[in-house]
Amino acid sequence: MLAIFKKEVAVYFLTPFGYVFMGLFLLLSGIVFSIYNLWGARGDIYGMFGVLNFVSIVIFPVLTMKLLAEEKRMATDQLLFSSPVTITSIILGKYFAALFVYLVTLCATGVYAAFIMIFSKTSLGAIIGSYVGFALLGAAYIAICLFASSLTDSQVTSAIIGFGFLFGFMIVGLLTNAIPFLFLKRVVSWFAILSKYEEFANGLLKIGPLVYYLSFAVGFVFLTIIVVKGRLREKGGAKHEKDRH
Amino acid sequence: MVEVINLTKMYGNKVGVKNVSFTAQKGEIIGFLGPNGAGKTTTMNVITGCKPATEGRVLIAGYDIAEKPLEAKKHLGYLPEIPPIYPELKVKSYLKFICGLKGVGREKRESHIGEIMELVKIMDVKDRVIKNLSKGYRQRVGLAQALISKPDVLVLDEPTVGLDPKQIHEMRSLIKSLGKEHTIILSSHILAEVSMVCDRVIIIKKGEIAAIDTPENLSKNMASAECFTAKIKGPAEKILPLIKEIDGVLSVKLDKDNNDSKPEYLSYIIESKKSIDVRTPLFFKLAGLGYPIYEMKSVPINLEDIFLQLTAEEKERAEVN
Repeated sequence: MLAIFKKEVAVYFLTPFGYVFMGLFLLLSGIVFSIYNLWGARGDIYGMFGVLNFVSIVIFPVLTMKLLAEEKRMATDQLLFSSPVTITSIILGKYFAALFVYLVTLCATGVYAAFIMIFSKTSLGAIIGSYVGFALLGAAYIAICLFASSLTDSQVTSAIIGFGFLFGFMIVGLLTNAIPFLFLKRVVSWFAILSKYEEFANGLLKIGPLVYYLSFAVGFVFLTIIVVKGRLREKGGAKHEKDRH
Repeated sequence: MVEVINLTKMYGNKVGVKNVSFTAQKGEIIGFLGPNGAGKTTTMNVITGCKPATEGRVLIAGYDIAEKPLEAKKHLGYLPEIPPIYPELKVKSYLKFICGLKGVGREKRESHIGEIMELVKIMDVKDRVIKNLSKGYRQRVGLAQALISKPDVLVLDEPTVGLDPKQIHEMRSLIKSLGKEHTIILSSHILAEVSMVCDRVIIIKKGEIAAIDTPENLSKNMASAECFTAKIKGPAEKILPLIKEIDGVLSVKLDKDNNDSKPEYLSYIIESKKSIDVRTPLFFKLAGLGYPIYEMKSVPINLEDIFLQLTAEEKERAEVN
């Protein structure tokens, strides 16, 4: 896992992907910080994350689109599959590499937070809450987009699928109001990924949303592992079929 | 070292390979020979655990690739048809990554990589980005990757494709020397290559094994007739029946490829029974009738003919049906 993690992080900064992601992320957060906080003379970090949240449906697919799709296209997955490593550790290595790049970028925005802290009365709790919330949101987004990358061998398709997923999860909150059945409404609203985020922004570190995002991330990483393993595990299925005959 | 038992791989209803069984001993080089699409790559992908088998088993160093993949893969190095390189990495960091992947100890990595780069002759490009390397170097980097951790079994899918003649020669002698320590399974559609490098040949067609033997035995056993060409002066319509009359001659025909320039000397391809040498009666008969023989040359039946023969049978059978 460590070897794959290191390689993926290295590849991020040997190709434009890491720079594009970091650049876009920091550029946008910088613009928002300037307009909203500096010129607008407001002392909260909520505006910055609001905008980042909005663009994240585009930049997270860019971060992850290469991870699995490119391996399949270049046939380098044959190297991984014939090496003495488990599928789980391959996927985890890749997931944590993307997460690492994301978290480093997020830490870089700490400069803005420091400014806000110094020149306004915003509580430390609110800022930490926002950061933890956004980090968790990103962890879930990366898992979703990694899953998207496992479904195809084209980076572009992978990015589009990832975008579709994130967009879907974003607007699902709006749809829940239109559902007449209470049970279904509850089920669907569980997938409204942004609804839990607001709780962090208020500076409240509650266990519920924390578990929610982590389970989202774990769930999609798990799905990715299943998809990739599925391709290598035809045998079990064939055996079952034979037993049935 | 490698044991393949009744391997079958289906793609939906289409047969990839069917009932393939063979074993490879330590230090043996086995060549998979077959036309494109015969199932060579499929077999290799299943052997290396990149694709699941529909039925049958593959044992690498005694471990089942489907049931104990990690142990089996520790003994495995695989060079797929397209070398599995990451174009943005440098050669050395790529090989370091492979070391990590294959669990080569951190303290040994530096010397191990050096040794392998020396062996496949990529020392001079070790600090270059793989993207900028030529096809020949990429192929060698791919081979270096397969050699990391010195696995017992090397599986090489068409290792010489895309190389220039000099590189092909180097690659072949390298594979031959590697065969002393490793069990090697390689595939090729070039006959000369397989008969030159391999201890045993598996001819595969339409997903099934058509023949397994040493290259020498294959040529010896499969050849039922001897064949030679003769250049004779005289009219073909008279000479053809004369040759056919000789005891032991199976067939005779004009060698169309070599009869353009001088129509008075015609070249014939004569096939005779293995046990009878027809050249002596041929000589005296034609000499007596005043048709001088200018040249006689035997044509050895090589793997290529056997290969074509084996693949042609299928066609004939299909036509009969």
